[in-house]
Amino acid sequence: MISLTSPVRTRAQDWPAAAKLGALLAATTALFLLPGLWVQIAALAAVLGLYTLPGRVFLRHGLAQLRVLWPIVLVLLVWHALTGDLPDALRIALRIVNAVALANLVTMTTTLSDLTEVVHRIFAPLRRAGLPVAVIEAGIPLVIRFTPTLIQKGRALHQAWRARSSRRANWRIVLPMTLLALDDADHLAEALRARGGISPFED
Amino acid sequence: MTQPIPGIQTIGMSYAIGPRRVIDGIDLRLDGPRVGIIGRNGSGKSTLSRLLAGLLQPSDGTIRVEGVDVWDDRRAAIATLGILFQNPEHQIIFPTVLEEMTFGLRQLGRAKSEAKDAALATLAQFGKAHWHDASTEALSQGQKHLLCLMAVMAMRPRWLILDEPFAGLDIPTRMQLVRHLESCGAKLLHISHDPRDLAGYGHICWLDQGRIRATGGPEVLAQFETQMLAEGARDDLADLAG
Repeated sequence: MISLTSPVRTRAQDWPAAAKLGALLAATTALFLLPGLWVQIAALAAVLGLYTLPGRVFLRHGLAQLRVLWPIVLVLLVWHALTGDLPDALRIALRIVNAVALANLVTMTTTLSDLTEVVHRIFAPLRRAGLPVAVIEAGIPLVIRFTPTLIQKGRALHQAWRARSSRRANWRIVLPMTLLALDDADHLAEALRARGGISPFED
Repeated sequence: MTQPIPGIQTIGMSYAIGPRRVIDGIDLRLDGPRVGIIGRNGSGKSTLSRLLAGLLQPSDGTIRVEGVDVWDDRRAAIATLGILFQNPEHQIIFPTVLEEMTFGLRQLGRAKSEAKDAALATLAQFGKAHWHDASTEALSQGQKHLLCLMAVMAMRPRWLILDEPFAGLDIPTRMQLVRHLESCGAKLLHISHDPRDLAGYGHICWLDQGRIRATGGPEVLAQFETQMLAEGARDDLADLAG
């Protein structure tokens, strides 16, 4: 599932998105600049502390989202165990886990529209310079919306192939897949026009 | 300023794809509360709905909905009419329900907080206040249809154009959607191939090969059905277009 949202209402959801992103930026920079294994272990404890604050449901959901990291951690540890530098591996692995856990924390407690709002403000100088940034801003939610749709379309096409072929789908599926994506783009353009299109209304 | 003509008015409306006129010089004068357009597959129904919604530019003729030129004046158009596509997947633009609902309101020029309040009010009015954070991808087909309806109705249009909104829906889902549509507060222009969808509609137009074949009351539906049964007994699937 691509959407990473909190299962419970937390106080952090009311904090300004820009502040959360700024704090994330500072924390991640610190994680990468500060040397030493103990810094990472202390940071992990602090991150876990943050995860426990909103309650057990949030903690369990949050940790479940981090499970995708275990193959990376495993490869790191195995590789460094072979080269004989296990403390280094632990440091790097913890650093990655800490950084992703913090980033997830921000994503889980911030709506997409608040995040795009921050992007909107960051882009202000470019907008004043006359660049068409509204299109980029509008593109962010669209990518998130259409990624699962495209995956689903790809699966359907695969099934259509399998239904009449005993071989694996090959390069010949690329063109129909592209056409499906273009078709989706047409429908999207129509849906946008039906409700006013992408026009940058200012507050 | 002269008083605009109420309802939907088209004069000589045509739409050509290459040399073929998919919509061929249609003059219409329609007014609510409920208007039905019936026609076979390929009769030009979807093109007609898109012309009336201002999504396609007519090759010829004029279209006015409550006096608004729906192709040229998009700002007035989106405040005057909404359209529900046959496939809600083609209509939903955003990943969460609230963003989908606020999009059109922002396009109408509402401030962010105002748009959010209006969207939440519409959700509450439909008894779906708890949907606001839901992922649009995770909704069932019937729920997606309802979301599209709510997103359009949040914009308070005077007309709602329905392009085969019930195709492929089961009976309970269809019954619930009909209930929501009947009480939505907009005039309905309902386009369908199925006479059952338009039962009880006072004004019916029969669209056939891009032209209006008949207009009138419920008796047009009966004529259409008789003709469809006759055509169904033949083999016109063999004919290629062009």
